[in-house]
Amino acid sequence: MLTLLHEWLIAPFDYGFMKRALIASFALSLAAPPMGVFLVLRGMSLIGDAMAHAILPGVALGFLLAGFSLPMMSLGGILSGLLVAVLAGSVSQMSGQREDAAMASFFLISLAAGVMIISLGGSSVDLTHVLFGSILAVNTTSLLLIAAISSLIVITLAVIFRALVVECLDPLFLRGQGVRGSLVHGVFLGLVVLNLTAGFQTLGTLMAVGLMMLPATAARFWSKRLEGLIAVAIGIALVASTGGLLLSYHFNMPSGPAIILLAGVGYVFSALFGSQHSLRRRLRRRAAPLGAPEPH
Amino acid sequence: MADANARLRLCDLQLAQGSRTVLEHISGEFRDGAITALIGANGTGKSTLIQGIMGMLKPIAGRVECSVPKERRAWLPQQLALDLTFPMSVEELVMTGSWPSHGALKGYCAAHYRKGREIMARLGISHLAHRPLGELSGGQRQRALIGRTLMQEAELLLLDEPFANVDAETVEVLMRVLRDMASEGATIIVVLHDMEQLARLADETVVLASGHARWVSVESVLQPLRSAAPASFLSQAIGGVSPC
Repeated sequence: MLTLLHEWLIAPFDYGFMKRALIASFALSLAAPPMGVFLVLRGMSLIGDAMAHAILPGVALGFLLAGFSLPMMSLGGILSGLLVAVLAGSVSQMSGQREDAAMASFFLISLAAGVMIISLGGSSVDLTHVLFGSILAVNTTSLLLIAAISSLIVITLAVIFRALVVECLDPLFLRGQGVRGSLVHGVFLGLVVLNLTAGFQTLGTLMAVGLMMLPATAARFWSKRLEGLIAVAIGIALVASTGGLLLSYHFNMPSGPAIILLAGVGYVFSALFGSQHSLRRRLRRRAAPLGAPEPH
Repeated sequence: MADANARLRLCDLQLAQGSRTVLEHISGEFRDGAITALIGANGTGKSTLIQGIMGMLKPIAGRVECSVPKERRAWLPQQLALDLTFPMSVEELVMTGSWPSHGALKGYCAAHYRKGREIMARLGISHLAHRPLGELSGGQRQRALIGRTLMQEAELLLLDEPFANVDAETVEVLMRVLRDMASEGATIIVVLHDMEQLARLADETVVLASGHARWVSVESVLQPLRSAAPASFLSQAIGGVSPC
């Protein structure tokens, strides 16, 4: 029995590529879910998706200029992601159009531009690689870059944590203290872009956002507290990453979709059986009796 | 009434919303340790003046001179921007009041928690400490928000209709707390509509009408109402028919 467990759960990680993949996905699992929790709380769940498309043209250009070099592709991704965020912000400010409308327009343009650039310069294999990632091909340089970006995200998030909480909860309180909410918002969006660029190598530009959002949306069914949400989300991401890698190893599945699908299973399970607002709670909910009146 | 050392003074202030001037030539001081009621009909610029004082609205002309440091200024707007779905408890909300002065990185120490508990006891919300914000009534929420300003040790407190949609018991508690804050030296400005509340709470009154402000005594606001022959300026401010 123990041998079987070892063979299934531990032995695959004797391979160097599986070790690197595991470490990379753990780093991402620590950095991405807290960002997702804040995106969900701010009612910006779809912004992550939009930003994931926005980094694509930069990644594609980096790929065209330097081949499959993670630093160059990441740099391109960060630049194009930030450019789209700034452009969408300015267009909505100048025109009075809602920011999500501007964002939607720019991310569609970005997606088309990215796919066009890769198709003109590479092959369909390259396109699949960039769009869906290949976690089993992470080398030491990529691993270092992913770990560095994830650490930077966690540290920056810790520094701006209180400002971010106040900005979500009560923006006027923050403004009253002379802190510009837009600055906090900007740094936060910057972190989202960074996070997605760290994730695209392993999960692909389109999948990277999954590890950010699914654990966060699932956590809403388990906790009422911010710390609880973040802890649960990270837990789900870690389990989904490990499980996804093992599934991909044993059943020869693509690793990115395996990880995200497992996170998706976590979401569905949480929605059905979670301790807060889940279907189970809804069916069981009964109004508590008031109890006997106090004697006068 | 003039106080050369007042921590908050307005000097020929002109404020606009967009391209429309709402208030102009506003000069005067708000006495330290006093509760000033801000009254005026809808649209006379009460909220605009508060935004101007908080520095959220840049003056077109003139200036706001305020020697109260930013971390000691608090504002409770009428339209709360508070996200009630945010996972935060009453105690956590009260504790956020210590952030401006305590810094963004340091954790709370035992003294902070003690102070937080004292404040909640003073406001009668100790039993709600761990209740999420979304499950509070209007009155409970208002008490928690005043708790945050107490935690902040606010020396300048601006309240926009703090007693609207609030139960009678909460009104009593809040009035007592505001009175205590004022006697400890805080400058408090309250937008009020209810004349009875004004009579009980205010030390001074600023009346806004036709884009101007006038500092008047509480008695002079209440007297015409009692005699049922309001002075034109006041009747306009309180919402009566304009004499023109």
